[in-house]
Amino acid sequence: MHCKMCTLFDSMAVLMLFLVLGSSNFGNCMASSSLLSSSESTMHTNNWAVLVCTSRFWFNYRHMANTLSLYRTVKRLGIPDERIILMLADDMACNARNKYPAQVFNNENHKLNLYGDNVEVDYRGYEVTVENFLRVLTGRHETAVPRSKRLLSDEGSHILLYMTGHGGDEFLKFQDSEELQSHDLADAVKQMKEKHRFKELLIMVDTCQASTLFSQLQSPGVLAIGSSMKGENSYSHHLDSDVGVSVVDRFTFYTLAFFERLNMYDNASLSSLFNSYDPSMLMSTAHYRTDLYQRRLDEVPVTNFFGSVMETIHTDSAYRALPRRSSAGVEVKMPSEQSAHNNEREMLIDSNIANQSSGFKTEDQKGVLTRLWDTFGDRIEKIEDVDSFVSYGLFMMPPILLLFSWLSW
Amino acid sequence: MAEVSDSEPPKSETSQVQEPASDFDPKTMRKTKPGLKRLVLTLSVLFSFVLGFPFLWKTVEIYRAPLPFREVESLSAQLDSSPLLFPCHFQAIFLGFNSKSSITSSAIDDLQVSIINQMTKFTPQTPQCGTCSTNYTVSVVVESDSQCLQSQGSKSSSPWKCGSMAAVDFDSDDDDAIDDSLESVFGGWSEVASAGKVYTVVWVRRDDEVRAVVGKYRHAWISGRVSEAAAAASRMAEIFVKVFVNGGKEEGLIHEEFMPVGADGRIVLSFNLLNAEPRDWIYDWDFQDVDENLLSPVIEALEPIANITVESQVLYHTPKSSFSYWDDKLGSYIFSTKDLPFFVNSNEWHLDTSIAAGGRSKILHFVVYIPSSKECPLLLRLPDGEISKTNGFISPKWGGIIVWNPKGCGKNSGIEHPFRHTISHQDLQKVFEVFTGQFRQLFGLKSDNVYIGSSGTSSLLASERGFTVWELDVLSRQHTCSSLHSCATTLGSLSRLVQSLPRMIIMDEIGKQVKFSLDEAKLAQINASLGVYDASAVSSRQARSLAEEAFFHPSIMSVSYYSFEHCFAVYSPFFLPVSMHVLLAALREWRRYKHENRKYLAWKSKAVS
Repeated sequence: MHCKMCTLFDSMAVLMLFLVLGSSNFGNCMASSSLLSSSESTMHTNNWAVLVCTSRFWFNYRHMANTLSLYRTVKRLGIPDERIILMLADDMACNARNKYPAQVFNNENHKLNLYGDNVEVDYRGYEVTVENFLRVLTGRHETAVPRSKRLLSDEGSHILLYMTGHGGDEFLKFQDSEELQSHDLADAVKQMKEKHRFKELLIMVDTCQASTLFSQLQSPGVLAIGSSMKGENSYSHHLDSDVGVSVVDRFTFYTLAFFERLNMYDNASLSSLFNSYDPSMLMSTAHYRTDLYQRRLDEVPVTNFFGSVMETIHTDSAYRALPRRSSAGVEVKMPSEQSAHNNEREMLIDSNIANQSSGFKTEDQKGVLTRLWDTFGDRIEKIEDVDSFVSYGLFMMPPILLLFSWLSW
Repeated sequence: MAEVSDSEPPKSETSQVQEPASDFDPKTMRKTKPGLKRLVLTLSVLFSFVLGFPFLWKTVEIYRAPLPFREVESLSAQLDSSPLLFPCHFQAIFLGFNSKSSITSSAIDDLQVSIINQMTKFTPQTPQCGTCSTNYTVSVVVESDSQCLQSQGSKSSSPWKCGSMAAVDFDSDDDDAIDDSLESVFGGWSEVASAGKVYTVVWVRRDDEVRAVVGKYRHAWISGRVSEAAAAASRMAEIFVKVFVNGGKEEGLIHEEFMPVGADGRIVLSFNLLNAEPRDWIYDWDFQDVDENLLSPVIEALEPIANITVESQVLYHTPKSSFSYWDDKLGSYIFSTKDLPFFVNSNEWHLDTSIAAGGRSKILHFVVYIPSSKECPLLLRLPDGEISKTNGFISPKWGGIIVWNPKGCGKNSGIEHPFRHTISHQDLQKVFEVFTGQFRQLFGLKSDNVYIGSSGTSSLLASERGFTVWELDVLSRQHTCSSLHSCATTLGSLSRLVQSLPRMIIMDEIGKQVKFSLDEAKLAQINASLGVYDASAVSSRQARSLAEEAFFHPSIMSVSYYSFEHCFAVYSPFFLPVSMHVLLAALREWRRYKHENRKYLAWKSKAVS
């Protein structure tokens, strides 16, 4: 699953390729994103975060630590608890194998206990299922579900969706028993868009082959970043010999390292976050998808997703119910200008961008069969309307069956 | 099997019958009638398969309550094509115009036309949803000592009685008294006028400066001299359009979508008193009293727009998360508007503790923040350097915050022990006046009691109910419009979703909710066209709430249902291979029978000839 050493050299080779090619086709993404005209006129009013750890069992300690670290970060940057949906598939803090009961660490220095005070877990243990996850996203709950377990976002919301666990090509495993398919995720996001449940959505995935999970997304306003490309693994960062397992994943570790330098008032841009991922440190290629996102990444502060910056308007005057005879000489006051504040200052873009959006493979190591299979795969991918292709296949099935039973008569 | 069916029957025939004529060719003819037994058997098997197919279809079928897709479509098409507009009636009354030459009725008609022209100038070209339709009526009345004249064509719509205005004393300084006496004159009219409300502007002729006052009800009065008829018409038209129709607000202050009403038509007002540092002082409030005296009229006034409930709590140890600095000149701590986004300390302020609020209700937080002795008094500085009068701010869709400084908190900072205080009634009233202002601001209404138009300034009287009658009319109209739009889009999304998942169970409940929602939407449209604002607001709210309930029904989950392809894949391994063989066997038997029968017929014709 995670820590296979065999693909390490492969990823190094890919990295070298990137360094050579530089950022030649970086402009492509930008060009396509400008095609999507933004009809959004609503104000960004609030922030939500959905943080999901999907794997059970002690050896997946790091996934819970990942999620809790991010929980701590977004809380520190100002998203209130009632706007964070935290889903933890297991309870490592109370695991019998935990040498430090009721504590969770994401670093072997044990400086920071992630499971300290004020951790509000909304879905825990076996409640973390694909169904519940999709219910949170789409908002279809039973009536008895309390407000704290609901994602009550609206058309002015920015949502951060962070998921970690074990994934594969176009799926993410939940609880070792079921899978979230990329189609399911895309479908849920589409429904959210349809019901104006978000203005902008940042999907952050730390799993193996993470970028495949958001390949099916179509809804505008969605930005997605994954820890690894298709065919790559995401690795854990280091092993804590006291706890006995790995305590954090690389992608999350470097994300946290970026955020530890920030506070609520900072306005580092999303592109500076994305550029901070170094493929040689991650041992995988962080892949981000921007074609559905309208704004330029270097203009969007990270606090737009990871923090909560309230839109505020000053109250000009009180409403005096009984004017107390003062209405005859009402002073004519010019309305003071709207004091809404958008903290949108710019950050400089780092100049040396290792291009992470292209998909090169080292071709020469492949056999003939793999090459054939690849060309077949390319053909399949070129078929645009998958649904009609499937239904044609279905209609073809009875005649073929008829033919074969005729022959075998 | 194949061998047998092909070759055996002819063989057995030929072996039995050997003696007849030499022209008998066993390959092309036979002497006995071919047997039907095998054909009947295979056909009966096929037939039973065919019979069984409907049963199978029935068993794998899923229940889908019929949804009125076409009506949903027509509703949204209707709302898209023509914005919802309300009928409105306006009345201009001129009092005390004793001119030497008697006023002719044609002059009044000219006045009417000029007011209508001015009004069309003020109304935007594209009709906005939730405003008055273009076919409004304006009636003009001019009354003097000697005569009383009404414009033509409007006698039926305004049951004006000449001389009834004499009772109103416009000389009084008390605007509220004038307003109330005007209401007693006009009060009965809104009920009498069958179609919509009548908004009235009275022009009282005086020899002093022109002064315009908009009352708490549906009328305004202007007193002063009239220089020329066109100016008067323009002034009146502006009050009609900008104040009575548009609510006196500037465009783009708060977007209409930010109407803070929950999807289920409910608002929970959560009032919080935050003692930042209870070691310095602890304040409490008499919320019961506030609720009964100050809040209940507001809630009652907003009844058609939202179902409002009130909660309150007192919290301790709640420091704010932004910084302030000491200003020597003012002798107080200052925080500026650019700190406001960071003011709310979401980790320490546990505001959202409501258990009464349902999943789709809207909670509006109103917070009184009492600073600690370390930062008291705490004042808000505006970008232009002035100190805020209200010391408060709002966040759209979230609520409002007021910083309340206890009296004399800056001087005696060395308090020996925390002392329990109660905020005095006067202070609390001031705080709630600001809260009302913030609440109005959240609804997009201004509270500075003055309207600055292009043709002059009008003062607006404030109602003790928090919202004046004409403001409630504006809110009702806008709310009806936005709710109906939201209902139509929700139902549209639902029907698209349902049609895209043909294997999804649709429970009867959803069908009912959609039907009722459509009914309520129709009712709202009818009420709107009749000009019954309150009823249309209530039914549009219901329509929206039901549509949301249907859309968010927990049984609609795409992962719980499988596609037709899936169903096919499950059942085809059971039936498809067998059914192919059965079909093929029946075909083969049929062909064999026909072949054999032709042989028999050939022999027969030969035998006859």
